[in-house]
Amino acid sequence: MNCEDIKRNLVEYWRGTLDEADRVGMEAHLSSCSQCRAEAEGLKHIWSTLGEFPEAEPGLGMRTRFYAGLREWERREIERRHRFWWIRHPAFQAAAAVLILVAGLLIGNMTATDHGQVAQLRNEVSSMKQLVTLSLLQQQNASDRLRGVTWSYRVEQSDSEVLGALLTTINHDPTVNVRLAAVDAMKNFADSPVARKGLVQSLNKQSSPMVQIAILDEIVELREKSAGPSIQGLMTSSNVNPSVKEHANWALRQLQ
Amino acid sequence: MREVREGELASMAVLFERHHRPLFHYFVHMNGNRELSEDLVQDVFVRMMKYRNSYRPDKPFAAWMYQIARNAQNDAMQKRKFEVELGHADVSSSHGMDEKLKHEQEIELLRQAMARLPLEKRELLVLSRFQNLKYEEIASILGCEVGAVKVRVYRAVRALGQIFFELTHRRMAAPGEEIA
Repeated sequence: MNCEDIKRNLVEYWRGTLDEADRVGMEAHLSSCSQCRAEAEGLKHIWSTLGEFPEAEPGLGMRTRFYAGLREWERREIERRHRFWWIRHPAFQAAAAVLILVAGLLIGNMTATDHGQVAQLRNEVSSMKQLVTLSLLQQQNASDRLRGVTWSYRVEQSDSEVLGALLTTINHDPTVNVRLAAVDAMKNFADSPVARKGLVQSLNKQSSPMVQIAILDEIVELREKSAGPSIQGLMTSSNVNPSVKEHANWALRQLQ
Repeated sequence: MREVREGELASMAVLFERHHRPLFHYFVHMNGNRELSEDLVQDVFVRMMKYRNSYRPDKPFAAWMYQIARNAQNDAMQKRKFEVELGHADVSSSHGMDEKLKHEQEIELLRQAMARLPLEKRELLVLSRFQNLKYEEIASILGCEVGAVKVRVYRAVRALGQIFFELTHRRMAAPGEEIA
């Protein structure tokens, strides 16, 4: 270390943040260079005395003022959110689009005689419903996804995209309530072999006894006899809840 | 702060409890005025709530907070054009005084030296000595490299030392006079 390095590292030396090699170099230099030693001693006195400055304490009123301000801020924030939350909500935005289209359809019905155009508009409404359902099913918020499941009742039975999204929800949604609602919504697709197969396959993927029981009920209601082997698999599996096993037994008897 | 940014304003109370004292000390060291410093602490928390979206979780929180504090301090300086209050202790000649009193007067002289230090140098000492921030954090607050902070802090200590010794010599040359 030369005299320049010493100056640059002095404060870190006092703070104790110099690494070992630099500290040794610093001490070696200070013991041999009287000029640097004198400067270091003088400035260290300043640095140490600074550390002895008494710290003023804030008054108690500061805390009171802060919390009063925070409460006021929160009140305003809640007010602001309540005033406009529905405008920013994806469900509202999608529903508004559907309403506008429906209004357009009605006006079209009254004014136009072109049935082709009306059919086209109906198609658009249908795809808008699909869009709302799919987008809600992908929301982070569980209540939004539940709303998405509700919307799925409005789409055509032949809508394979919505069916696929519902099956994904049944298999992977982290919230039990959403999975349960999606199982119920499969009634809307009762005629679809894909829906029936998906439900049966999902039976052994579930970890929640509630969802397993709901799927078993659905299978029984749909009279899906191909589910037999899966239900038996559930009954013999070691990590399945006893009440689910009992219900599986019941379901098997119902399907016979 | 991440929670505050995501709308959890109640988490601001946790930040207040953790940081209001260091912030208050920062302002008192910078402007020497208790009342103004309390106002500025409030101002910092209001700004934090207002600009919470500008906080980047990958950057040190202290750097973001002190950047806001610096802006609040600078705005106040421009508005008020006040001067840093000097200490009013009687800094008379040290003949016959006991060690404790001598030491107290030394602190008082150093406080006066701090008040005379140019603002940017005073700030470096406040951040490094009183707030005990790491050089990386100071570099982030000031928007410069760590190497530059090392040099600047050294120069600030040296400048403070110079003013302090001048004040001491003047005091010894003219004992009993108030230094202003």
